[in-house]
Amino acid sequence: MEAASIAHAHGHEEHHGPPPAHKSSRVEPQLLGMLLFIISEVMIFGAFFTAYFFIRVAQGDPWPATGTKLPVDVAGVNTAILVSSSFTIHWAQTSIKNGNRFGLKAGMLTTFLLGATFLFVQINEYANIGFAPQDGAQETIFYSLTGLHGAHVFIGLCLLLFVTVRAFRGHYSPEEHRGVEVPGIYWHFVDVMWLVVYSTVYIL
Amino acid sequence: MAARIRQPGFYRAGVWMVGAVAFSFFLTWVVRTSTGHSTFRHFISGDAILTVALIAVPLAFLIGIGGFDYWFYWAAGRPTRPEDHSGHGAYTWKDYFRINTDHKVIGIQYTVNSFIFLLVGGLLAMLMRAQLAQPGSHFVDANTFNGLFSVHASILIFLFIIPVFAGLGNFVIPLMIGAPDMAFPRLNALSFWLLPVAGLMMLGSFFAPGGSFADGWTAYAPLSTNAPIGQTFFSVAVQFAGASSVMTALNFLVTIITMRAPGMSFFRMPLLVWANFATSLLVVIATPFIAASQFFVLLDRALGFNFFNAGHGGDVLMYQHVFWFYSHPAVYIMMLPGFGIISEVIAVKARKPIFGYRMMAFSLLAIVGLGFTVWAHHMFTSGMANWIRIPMAITTSIIAVPTGIKIFSWLATLYRGVLHLDTPMLFTLGFLTTFTLGGISGVMLAMIPFDIHVSSSYFIVAHIHYVLFGGSLMTIFAGVYYWFPKMTGRMFDERLGKWHFWTTFVFLNLTFGPMHILGLQGMPRRVSTYASQFADMNLFISIASFGLGLSVLIFLYNIVTSWRGGPRATANPYRAMTLEWHVSSPPPVFNFDRVPTVVGGPYEYGVPGAQHGIFTPTPTPMGASAGVHATSGET
Ligand SMILES: [Cu+2]
Repeated sequence: MEAASIAHAHGHEEHHGPPPAHKSSRVEPQLLGMLLFIISEVMIFGAFFTAYFFIRVAQGDPWPATGTKLPVDVAGVNTAILVSSSFTIHWAQTSIKNGNRFGLKAGMLTTFLLGATFLFVQINEYANIGFAPQDGAQETIFYSLTGLHGAHVFIGLCLLLFVTVRAFRGHYSPEEHRGVEVPGIYWHFVDVMWLVVYSTVYIL
Repeated sequence: MAARIRQPGFYRAGVWMVGAVAFSFFLTWVVRTSTGHSTFRHFISGDAILTVALIAVPLAFLIGIGGFDYWFYWAAGRPTRPEDHSGHGAYTWKDYFRINTDHKVIGIQYTVNSFIFLLVGGLLAMLMRAQLAQPGSHFVDANTFNGLFSVHASILIFLFIIPVFAGLGNFVIPLMIGAPDMAFPRLNALSFWLLPVAGLMMLGSFFAPGGSFADGWTAYAPLSTNAPIGQTFFSVAVQFAGASSVMTALNFLVTIITMRAPGMSFFRMPLLVWANFATSLLVVIATPFIAASQFFVLLDRALGFNFFNAGHGGDVLMYQHVFWFYSHPAVYIMMLPGFGIISEVIAVKARKPIFGYRMMAFSLLAIVGLGFTVWAHHMFTSGMANWIRIPMAITTSIIAVPTGIKIFSWLATLYRGVLHLDTPMLFTLGFLTTFTLGGISGVMLAMIPFDIHVSSSYFIVAHIHYVLFGGSLMTIFAGVYYWFPKMTGRMFDERLGKWHFWTTFVFLNLTFGPMHILGLQGMPRRVSTYASQFADMNLFISIASFGLGLSVLIFLYNIVTSWRGGPRATANPYRAMTLEWHVSSPPPVFNFDRVPTVVGGPYEYGVPGAQHGIFTPTPTPMGASAGVHATSGET
């Protein structure tokens, strides 16, 4: 577009670029941004848990709704799958810090596959659970909390996929591995959140 | 043409949007044909297509104008590319209509966009006052009236007050802390373009079948879950506006934490930076709650979920809890940056150090903390458990304390100052008056019996407008005048500015003052007509409100003519100390040719030899790039 080209021309004759910004904190901007974003994410789960609290605790409705059953065991195995993916991504991160490219690639790929398995099992659970969110408030809450988490798993999987592709294309090095670390934090958050969702929705 | 469609811009956005409409048809058709569920009665439904399109079309627009280009590029596995600032600066008006990563351009985009929505929101208020001028008038029908006040409130809250502060902050904060840009310039660019999308969607709801959303900006369930499709426009628009808020808040926080100039410790930051830091914390923590409340409404409306369907065990009170857990902190999101502006203006114009600088900063943080403990004071008449009212009344009274600390600090700063009564200062003093009045009626409303008495009356309308118009808008005017020379490089017309202030101040009080009395006399709010005993006062209010509307035209005329042909502004017309006044007006494309060093507090006016920022060593001659000089603190 012509506007862009004008800007470009000006940019060359007048300026040499800004001086590098002074770093007033030891924390990396991307890392800090992700941590703050996770606060927002925790709060959105908090809002959904508020709905859960009002239906289950404040109103005292039976949980799960009378006549429905939650597949605690299947979801338990699924929990183990997701938790183990936190360890494999940690393996990938340690590997690239030590310059082990094979470990990075294998770790990322395993993490991605474990996450995808989790999501697949979750969708399968929806298909076979025998109730729908339209049936009642408890069903709505069940689908909303697990679905909100599922959406986060999906976003996390997209990030993991991008990182995996980049790992196979030869990006990242022992000096430059922030691109693995920041999505990794998000993935750990998704895992920890699932432990909260699993224990409140399935076990308690 | 083909090249235009491939390059980011409005042509490509158009193509993507057409694609999104087609996608909406296709998706609803596929979902409806493939599910035999009783919720999906027909294969094609206008409401379903519209709901999907409301989400898909704006996203397509954002993709088309290039908001996500870099992340697509990154996701495709290409090497990372640090923002190279090649898109910085605006050289023609067209540069304001593209994805631009320069915080100064984005600041102006934000501010101008917000003021356009101020005019629209104000116009809706004029229509309401025209209807209310006489009892029983038929200027608009009752449903349209409900739509008018709902869109009025939503537009002015989500598209004016919140983003205009983000706009001023965007322009000023990096300059104030000595940074070349924001921490995430591409995110910053994207966050702006979400706003016109949200605003047009809210206004577009007037054209929806069944009319616009008409249950207030609060959209209480189950009114909202049973309303016509216009309600969906609100629920989705709030998501876009909220996402924009969160992105900007993350950007502010990271910028303030990681990009301060050497020597600028937290307690050497100007209070505007502190205020935006506190506000951003509120945004990051609270905004997800309103997003969730509207997700609930959307899911109930679109997919037949049962969050608020009492017949299936849903809980309508839960909506109010979730909504107000955001929306009470939101009143501080709409106020704290204004506190920051006032602190800047008052110190410079009174030529005195701000009184109690640390307490000013701590009181901001106290408000952030306490702001999350008072939400149910909006629900005293909602039928929640009675005992919850008592802790809420207590915390609501307590939160007046940090605000009171600020008021007294400003007064103490004014005491024995050398006051320069120009336009920004007049708006500051006007703010102190009207905001204190609004604050006092707020403390009155914390009293449970009184709140129950006036909760559905015009007293609430009076209170909210004293706080948001007499409070927020006064600070916004003060801030826009104060930084106008820095943003545009031109001086505004002082005489017109004073006219603007006095007309605003007088008509503001004439419009909203009598509403207190109307409320105490029992006139209900949110009604399109009223008992004839309130006729005289309503006519008076309507006439005053038209005066208030006209006063904005003085501002507009002043801003437009001054921007086009006002006298050139010097680098530091107010002899201020904060860093943004150390560079030329308007600032050079990259802000600072050298990063300044901060050696003292930001408000040491009248302190002999005091300095805030210096440039060491002397910068290499860079032409006329800046009035680079260390400001002295003479009065
Ligand atoms: Cu409140």
